[in-house]
Amino acid sequence: MVTAVLNRLRINEYASSVGIIATATVVGLLLSPHLQVIDVAMLYLLAVVVVGYLHRRGPALLASLLSIAAFDFAFVPPRYTFNVHDTAYYLTFGVMLAVALSMGQLTARIREQAQDAGEREGRARALYALSRDLSEVGDLQDQIQVVTRQISDAAHGEVQVFLDGSNRKLRADDWPVEGLFESLAVRIAAIWAYKNGESAGWGTRHCAEAEALVVPLKGASGIIGVVTVHPRSLDDVLAEPERETVEALAGQAAAAFERTSLSQAHEQARIEVESERLRTALLSSLSHDLRTPLGSIEGAASSLLQESSGLSPEAQQEMAETILEESRRMTRLVTNLLDMVRVETGALAVHKEWQPLEEALGVALLRLEERLLAHAVDIRLAPALPLVPIDELLIEQVFINLLENAAKHTPRGTPIAVSAWAENGSVMVEVVDRGPGIPLGEEETVFRKFHRTAGADHAGPAGGSGLGLTICRGIIAAHGGRMWLEQSAGQGACFRFTLPLQGPPLRAVPTEAVED
Amino acid sequence: MAATAPLVLLIEDEPQMRRFLRTTLRAHDYQVVEAASAREGLAQAAGRNPEVILLDLGLPDLDGLEVTREIRRFARTPIIVISARGQEHDKVTALDLGADDYLTKPFGAPELLARIRVALRHSTFPPGTAPQPVFQAGELRVDLVRRQVFRADEEAHLTPTEYKLLAALIRHAGRVITHRQLLQEVWGANYADQSHYLRVYMAQLRHKLERDPTRPRLLTTEPGVGYRLREG
Repeated sequence: MVTAVLNRLRINEYASSVGIIATATVVGLLLSPHLQVIDVAMLYLLAVVVVGYLHRRGPALLASLLSIAAFDFAFVPPRYTFNVHDTAYYLTFGVMLAVALSMGQLTARIREQAQDAGEREGRARALYALSRDLSEVGDLQDQIQVVTRQISDAAHGEVQVFLDGSNRKLRADDWPVEGLFESLAVRIAAIWAYKNGESAGWGTRHCAEAEALVVPLKGASGIIGVVTVHPRSLDDVLAEPERETVEALAGQAAAAFERTSLSQAHEQARIEVESERLRTALLSSLSHDLRTPLGSIEGAASSLLQESSGLSPEAQQEMAETILEESRRMTRLVTNLLDMVRVETGALAVHKEWQPLEEALGVALLRLEERLLAHAVDIRLAPALPLVPIDELLIEQVFINLLENAAKHTPRGTPIAVSAWAENGSVMVEVVDRGPGIPLGEEETVFRKFHRTAGADHAGPAGGSGLGLTICRGIIAAHGGRMWLEQSAGQGACFRFTLPLQGPPLRAVPTEAVED
Repeated sequence: MAATAPLVLLIEDEPQMRRFLRTTLRAHDYQVVEAASAREGLAQAAGRNPEVILLDLGLPDLDGLEVTREIRRFARTPIIVISARGQEHDKVTALDLGADDYLTKPFGAPELLARIRVALRHSTFPPGTAPQPVFQAGELRVDLVRRQVFRADEEAHLTPTEYKLLAALIRHAGRVITHRQLLQEVWGANYADQSHYLRVYMAQLRHKLERDPTRPRLLTTEPGVGYRLREG
């Protein structure tokens, strides 16, 4: 505590100026056999300039007075007394004092100006660095990190940012002592700073006993939180300019935080509008896609029941087939909708197991056998394709959706090719067709919910739900991979996805020779 | 005919589903007893001595898995569990608890009848007793005495493990076997979690025995559950 007070008075600088005058005196005494008394006066003037250059005005003033006293005592005859015989020396003292004072003050002022300029430059540099770093991150959490780092660099202390999360005013009981602030003093300082919009705590006039400096975050809408700076050691001095730098940085940080929360609120509103639009689309899609097959089923079943006597066996057969086809269509639609919900809500549980890709693909091919009759499906799996960590049910669904899409959107008789190969720690899978392709510029929109490509009807009334590709992308993302559409004009559609080869550790399968 | 018609016990709570099953089964000369709850089903299973049990896994009063475990305490009657899509885990558990096969809703009449036929045949010749010396399905012929395997009259050379795997599949021919059951039978209990062993050997077997290994006809995958060796 005493040291802190001494520090505040800059006692060191005064001690140093005494030291410098003492040194000048010793040098003068050593050289006095060779010097005129008036030359010694010059030596003192030099010492005052040195003090003015190294320290501030106060020490320089002290040095001026001390140098006159020392000069009088040690050099002016009679020496080693403060008496003066020759009254002409009074003039010397006067001139010396005037020169020492003005030179000391001048050099001190120049030094202070240089120091100010340095501080201003430092502050400007810190502000620039902060705004540059803040502009590179868009997320509030990342911004808080940047601010913490920058202020910590500027103030040489531990920095923490406390943001008022919900825009409600912080009250004393909102911030518990434990966990948030390490002591009651800091907590009180924080609340004071928050309420009054002024810095408090360590190195300030308010709540100075707190172990940390608390600077309020002043945004356009008011105080949005506080920043605390803990000195590395409590004996450290927080200079006024450093505090001002911290305050300037805090102001800039507050503006950035405010912008970000505003744009997040904006984004939230946009998402709400979007999901409202989706709900409407979902409802209209559901009412159409579910009602149509239900209508056919009900119609066919009721005619089977009521007019069975009048219907030919062929007609009865046809009615039964309609019921079967339409219920399958509804099953597919409902399955897609449920999958969509699972993908959307993050309820998609992925149970990865290492396995050959061939197996999941085989299941999809077998299940789609009838629908793929009109297309030759060419399978080209790289010979040494490694096992992949996948959830077979989900990846099978991806193959089913992609192959079904290809069959639906391409003319009968055109081939479909499925290839896979290992590349950069992943397995790359490609499903290519020779159909008309996707209109250029729609490479991304095809993955959107309820997106349906116009004129998609080569395979009869298949009626896609517009969800298949969205589900595929969701499943691949849940596997840590990526899915996209790659195409060049006139080449058909080429869907690609990656499956990273990262999963639970794998026990190598021993190889063995054929029995005789 | 009616006197020897096999008795099927239906444990299913949804009346519409029961109606479909009952009508289909009766039309194919099976006798049907119905139970709308698990407790009733357990009583019927003990009292009526059915030859096949169709058990829905989604019963309101008792977990279907619990019912499977309970039935297995007193009877070896084949159990075919009926489950909805997305209940793969329950299905596998039921099979590991002793159920014989499964059907996933929605399923058609041909699938239902095929499962019941296989289940009945296995209950007349339980696995392990009086194995046929030669197994034949499609192009595949296996001489179980001489340990020789032929595909379209050409001998296929299998490694010891491949042969063990094929033999296990033949013992359960027509029925599903879970990954765990196959791993235990072929590799032993310590390997029950190393499902990639099984998948790798299954792929090798397919490359030796299937005409097109990417579209297997014989050694088919039951996604999320296990494998099935098709008989015809």
